[in-house]
Amino acid sequence: MSDDSTSPFLIEVNEYPAFQHQQDKTVLEVLESHDVEVHYHCREGFCGACRTKLIEGDVRYTTDPLAFIDDDEVLPCCCVPTSNIKLQTY
Amino acid sequence: MKYTTFNQHTVDTMAEPMFFGNPVNVARYDQQKHSVFEKLIEKQISFFWRPEEVDVSKDRVDFQKLSDTEKHIFISNLKYQTLLDSVQGRSPNIAFLPIISLPELETWVETWSFFETIHSRSYTHILRNLFTDPSHVFEDIVVNDEIKRRASDISRYYDDLIFATQLWQTQGEGVHVVNGEQHVINLRELKKKLYLCMNSVNALEAIRFYVSFACTFAFAERELMEGNSKIIRLIARDENLHLTSTQHILNLWIKGKDDPEMAEIAEECKAEAEQIFVSAVEQEKQWASYLFQNGSMIGLNKDILCQYIEFIANQRMAVIGMSPKYDVSNNPLPWMNNYLHSDNVQVAPQESEISSYLVGQIDAEVSAEEFGDFDL
Repeated sequence: MSDDSTSPFLIEVNEYPAFQHQQDKTVLEVLESHDVEVHYHCREGFCGACRTKLIEGDVRYTTDPLAFIDDDEVLPCCCVPTSNIKLQTY
Repeated sequence: MKYTTFNQHTVDTMAEPMFFGNPVNVARYDQQKHSVFEKLIEKQISFFWRPEEVDVSKDRVDFQKLSDTEKHIFISNLKYQTLLDSVQGRSPNIAFLPIISLPELETWVETWSFFETIHSRSYTHILRNLFTDPSHVFEDIVVNDEIKRRASDISRYYDDLIFATQLWQTQGEGVHVVNGEQHVINLRELKKKLYLCMNSVNALEAIRFYVSFACTFAFAERELMEGNSKIIRLIARDENLHLTSTQHILNLWIKGKDDPEMAEIAEECKAEAEQIFVSAVEQEKQWASYLFQNGSMIGLNKDILCQYIEFIANQRMAVIGMSPKYDVSNNPLPWMNNYLHSDNVQVAPQESEISSYLVGQIDAEVSAEEFGDFDL
């Protein structure tokens, strides 16, 4: 994950102020560290409980996601940002 | 179209639809029309577990300490889950395999059903430990009205599809009279039945297990029946994967990424499909009322359980393009997530790789004497 960037990407979610991505953490872990409530079950990309809308930016998956997600959705439990991202939880 | 176990014509499976194309011939997985099913097979196999790996002997002592209300909740849930897995251990095979046209989907359905049979075996494992003779529990499943009502709703769509498929594969399209009853059989009708059946299975995997899961984990929160809870955690992990597969199938149809006629049917049967989901939610809520008819258990009551069902129903309806129906935005049982988290159910490799470790490898009893010769 260190090859992504020198300065951390920003993660914006709902109405919260932007959070900095923390190295070696998934998007879900970053959100949890700021007490943002995101639903989850498996944390491995196969159940889809954490399905979230990606409004802006790109992510890279650390585990191949198995759950069904739409083209404009991501699974925060198994991805890291590869640019600044903007998310909207359901 | 007559079913054949080995279709001797060359078929390009990359151009076949998921269902109602040519029967599958070569079981090959080097190429896949829908690669997600291959990935699901691999994931499911990596989850392999055996009920005997989990020591449930301590549960027998816990069970004796439960109140009558709690015993009713515990045993009723096991009965209901036994029913669900009895249906799921056979029905996807019988209903879907004769009409599947992709090798990866065929093997996924077989793998899926096989795991449901492991779940069924685990209920016997749990009950054998609680009762010297668990027959009365199993025998009640086909007599108990509360369970029977659910059974008929769950098996109805499967039975309907299976019967129509049998007529189509033996008699072909047309109007057939069987026992004085007329049946209109054509491909469009069959596809409609398949669509409704898949929605019913999806609702089953999405909703129907969760009232009993919540009760099991509520016992475990009080450090009761923990062997049972460990087994149910493994089952919940599998069911999550099964749900993912039905969500993929439905979405491939709805979004026109498979059989274009199925996209039309999805549109046409939208209201009916939604009704199937809503009925499953209502039935689960009624089940919660039945469980708590004699009183609640610590940490859980009927209302909070119903809210939890509505909460997950909203999410699971949204995945298949239905608008969320219920007014619950926060998870009323946040501790459930700890039990549904896949890392927390991992079986230690040294316990699962060496076969001799498999049977009763965990000793639940550690007495103070064991440390008698320890010097500090």
